[in-house]
Amino acid sequence: MENQQTPTESSSLDNFFNISFDESTRGQVRKAAQWARICALCIFIGYGITLITVFFGKSASVDSELGGAYRAGSIIGSLIVVAVGVWIYLFLYRFATATAKGMDAMDSIKTNEGFDSLRRFFKILGILLIIGLSIAALAILISLFR
Amino acid sequence: MEDKQQDSFFQMHLDYDGGRILNETVRWSRFLSIVGIIGLSICLLAFIIASKYLIPAVSRLVPGIEDMENVAGALIMVVILIFGAVFGFLVYMLYRFSVLTRKGIEHQDQTIFAEGMKCLKIYFLVSGIIAVLSLLSNVLSLTKLF
Repeated sequence: MENQQTPTESSSLDNFFNISFDESTRGQVRKAAQWARICALCIFIGYGITLITVFFGKSASVDSELGGAYRAGSIIGSLIVVAVGVWIYLFLYRFATATAKGMDAMDSIKTNEGFDSLRRFFKILGILLIIGLSIAALAILISLFR
Repeated sequence: MEDKQQDSFFQMHLDYDGGRILNETVRWSRFLSIVGIIGLSICLLAFIIASKYLIPAVSRLVPGIEDMENVAGALIMVVILIFGAVFGFLVYMLYRFSVLTRKGIEHQDQTIFAEGMKCLKIYFLVSGIIAVLSLLSNVLSLTKLF
């Protein structure tokens, strides 16, 4: 009798079991995953095109000293942007593949893996947004008190 | 009745881990959507305030447009409104996903949860279409560069 759970304890754990991925919800999630994959792939290809443009574009053939420094700066800058972008959108790609697999096989472990990748994707975007907004606020404050 | 119970038993249910992951996903997506809505409103306000400086700036890119000041102003306004509407719809869908999914899990309501997943699908659908269009414009700029 002592080990018996109180109703409030069990209900907090049982909360999620009333929600199921029925046929229509699975269809919605599958479609979301398909479009998320298309989105991630387009962004990967876009990053590839950006790198091609930076390395082999017409603007790369500037001979002067200033042009060389500008070129080096733009190459380093775009490499950083592409590396960070690929790292972020890899989470979206993982969400797309794992969730689609989970929905097809009705595998909750795979589905959780997929949603965990989506959580990381949104979390990283949120943190980057907070950093960006802080820098912008700092820049505005500095320009006001100058 | 028995069949219905069996159906529900064989469906994929949201387990404790999945619920926890989705709750955190929803928290970050709500933050992103609220910041998105505020950012978009500020951008639209800035465009409306700076609209009288926009025509001279655009006329540098498209010569001859300053002769048709009224048409150019209306054209710029329409383009800004279309962009605002598309991105506004996108962040609204993300907001709805976060609100409905959270409500669905909290109230153990399958219908609201499914509605949240539908909003996630629409969000990725619009994002995917925007990604495909921007990839096409990227490819076009690549052909011009070489």
